[in-house]
Amino acid sequence: MFEGLRARLQKIQGTLEENIAKTASPADTAPQDPAVSGTGPEERDPSLLSRVRVLITDREFFISEKDVEEPLFELEMILLENDVALPVTEEIIQRVRADLTGRRRKIGESVEGIVVSALRGAILGVLGQGFDLLTYVRDHEKPVKILFTGVNGTGKTTTVAKVASYLKKNGCTVVIGAGDTFRAGALEQIDVHAGRLGIKVIQHQAGADPSAVLFDTVQYAEAHRIDAVLADTAGRFHNRANLMNQLEKIRRVMKPDLIVYVDEAVAGNDAVVRAHEFEKTVGADAVVLTKADMDQKGGAAISIAHTIGKPVMFLGVGQGYDDIIPFAPTRVVDELLGVSA
Amino acid sequence: MLDRLGTSLKDALKKLAGKTVVDRAAVEELVKDLQRALIQADVNVKLVMQLSQAIKTRSLEEQPPKGMTVREHVLRIVYQELVNLVGSAGEVKLEPQVILMAGLQGSGKTTTTAKLARYFQRKGMRVGVICADTFRPGAFEQLHTLCSRIHVSCFGDPKEKDALRIVREGLPAMSGNEVVIIDTQGRHALEAELIQEIIDIQKIASAKHRWLVIDAALGQQAADQARRFHEAITIDGVIITKMDGTAKGGGALSAVAETKAGIVFIGSGETSDDLERFEPDGFISRLLGMGDLKALVERAEETMAGQEVDVNAMLRGKFSLRDMYQQLEAVNRMGPLKQIMSMLPLGNMEIPQDAYDVTSTKMQRYRIIMDSMTSTELDDPSVMGSSRIHRIAIGAGASPEEVRELLRYYKMMKKALKGVRGGQGKFNMQRMMKKFGGM
Ligand SMILES: Nc1nc2c(ncn2[C@@H]2O[C@H](COP(=O)(O)OP(=O)(O)OP(=O)(O)O)[C@@H](O)[C@H]2O)c(=O)[nH]1
Ligand SMILES: Nc1nc2c(ncn2[C@@H]2O[C@H](COP(=O)(O)OP(=O)(O)OP(=O)(O)O)[C@@H](O)[C@H]2O)c(=O)[nH]1
Ligand SMILES: [Mg+2]
Ligand SMILES: [Mg+2]
Repeated sequence: MFEGLRARLQKIQGTLEENIAKTASPADTAPQDPAVSGTGPEERDPSLLSRVRVLITDREFFISEKDVEEPLFELEMILLENDVALPVTEEIIQRVRADLTGRRRKIGESVEGIVVSALRGAILGVLGQGFDLLTYVRDHEKPVKILFTGVNGTGKTTTVAKVASYLKKNGCTVVIGAGDTFRAGALEQIDVHAGRLGIKVIQHQAGADPSAVLFDTVQYAEAHRIDAVLADTAGRFHNRANLMNQLEKIRRVMKPDLIVYVDEAVAGNDAVVRAHEFEKTVGADAVVLTKADMDQKGGAAISIAHTIGKPVMFLGVGQGYDDIIPFAPTRVVDELLGVSA
Repeated sequence: MLDRLGTSLKDALKKLAGKTVVDRAAVEELVKDLQRALIQADVNVKLVMQLSQAIKTRSLEEQPPKGMTVREHVLRIVYQELVNLVGSAGEVKLEPQVILMAGLQGSGKTTTTAKLARYFQRKGMRVGVICADTFRPGAFEQLHTLCSRIHVSCFGDPKEKDALRIVREGLPAMSGNEVVIIDTQGRHALEAELIQEIIDIQKIASAKHRWLVIDAALGQQAADQARRFHEAITIDGVIITKMDGTAKGGGALSAVAETKAGIVFIGSGETSDDLERFEPDGFISRLLGMGDLKALVERAEETMAGQEVDVNAMLRGKFSLRDMYQQLEAVNRMGPLKQIMSMLPLGNMEIPQDAYDVTSTKMQRYRIIMDSMTSTELDDPSVMGSSRIHRIAIGAGASPEEVRELLRYYKMMKKALKGVRGGQGKFNMQRMMKKFGGM
């Protein structure tokens, strides 16, 4: 994931640097000018006199909107083509523009430094923090109850299996609750996964009340001193009130410690809409983005994290149980921008 | 947030109202809002840029047709370009066929397989399905459960690991059915082995149709994915699933652009009945978050219907189905045909009694049937053979007999119009058409 975005972001960085360097170069050749070294990092003075002075003396030191306009448009296209949702793209562009333009370039400050920090700041600003599940489980009262939600087919059930395997490998005991009693083949699916992983799964018959199944799962975990309850649920759309009510009921009954919202990295702009709706109706504490192996874009990660302001916990990168990686925003952004950390 | 979009597009359109010359700034603003709407709907960014360029150029260069305001002119171009982008619905024939389902993980292939089985079953065909997904846990049970609910036979073996073998054995086992649908496991463009697998499945199955199932929420990734599937098995139909959510399905247009295949069906729910034939206008409205684009364009075209119907060509005997369509549209707004005819000074024009007997419901039916015709057919009805009639009937949800009836009606009208030729009727005809347009 992110490979396409990385290559193109690094290119745009080049364009931005070039444009900024171009305007700044005459001043570079005259750094001994006393008027220049005298101007500190003070804000632009609105008085006419000072504006004239700035114009005459160190006009070249301002990065103007014009210098960045074209590369910023290009940056916007890049983000959009990489599935960063439109409103989020606009916000990133806004941040970079605000950060770059009207800014006085200090003597000795490298152009590259300015550009990288502007882009890095903007993207990190929308990506937010990561979420370390192992630490959370270790520090929390047991059993830790985790509810997985999301729309149809995003990879909830597979993610439950992957997270179960991940926790088990890291020394935690796990039980799975088969909360999807609705979709054809759902019980068989989770059963096979759990069987392969050697993990207990609690299930009722098809069509049963999911709240009851998950309540039983929690009871089982308490009775058997199990570290973590992973509750699978049926896929549902956020615009179906009855299904969302059912999820709300599940939440009331099982009282999860964490609600993990699962969506796919290849989703486009709707990712923002539905993440927002899920967050609003049942809440979400962390996000898992699946199917990141399909795609080198991964803008949905940026969009969703930004929209609901919740950390991305894992990326799903395939259909195997080990195809899951903890998400670390700073590392991702540094990789994106080609910064060696 | 999304509704606001539709509004801003409408606002941009309003700015064009009352203008007499095409205003570059207003067009640019409109195009910008259109871009936003389409990008939000996940239409490929490059496609959006091409489309907006075309709209801009045409709006500024083409003369608005007589009688059309600037706003209507631009609106019509926007609509035409969008219709172009979306394409027409892919063909679905009620004939013996094997259909191979393909698509990304979780896109809805298995659910849609059952929906299609239901669709063909309802059309009176014998249907069987094959579960060639030997990978996903519970895949066979899922398909089998869905099929048993609708009493369709399902071939598969949850213990078998070789999908090719299932297909090899399943085809003869299902040969008693007219329609056989093969469900496959999910795969994506970067999974070389799985792409090879579906190539091999197609080699064995020689499926008449290879349909790509796309989640309505799929983003910019759609183009690359569709290209790879198309290279592998030549996609000839696209199905968009999960349209009952809030996603707009714009990603699927990349698949249309890459494969030149039409969209055949829309999935709109989890049960086997939640399948609809694709309908371009509804889809466009949804893309833009603007419910009434087609209606707006139609209204605009109605105001100039008088000019659009080429009366002279008609009098030269060139009366096509397209002309008749416009006539019916005009008539439709004005009430029963007989009443209108009687208002007009028709001179020696002899209209057979039968022509009057077309009720407005009938006319509505005729228009729907004509909506399923291609431009060639509308312009030159003489190409119409029984296979075309059959196709049109399916597309319009009508019987072939109804299509033939429409063609008979058309011939009658054409003959009647020929009778007017040369006589004093010419003048009257023009008057009549003007009247149709102006009312
Ligand atoms: N390539 C890839 N496929 C994945 C990933 N995660 C899940 N899948 C596949 O996506 C498909 C759907 O996954 P499920 O886990 O059944 O999705 P779900 O959200 O539980 O689906 P419903 O319960 O029907 O709503 C399956 O074929 C999975 O193997 C991933 O990270 N990468
Ligand atoms: N609401 C809604 N849900 C749908 C629709 N089509 C499919 N689904 C749901 O989406 C999820 C995935 O559908 P499947 O048919 O299992 O998808 P698939 O492509 O066969 O998945 P894999 O075989 O794992 O690749 C299930 O929960 C389906 O019920 C639809 O049109 N609307
Ligand atoms: Mg599931
Ligand atoms: Mg399937």
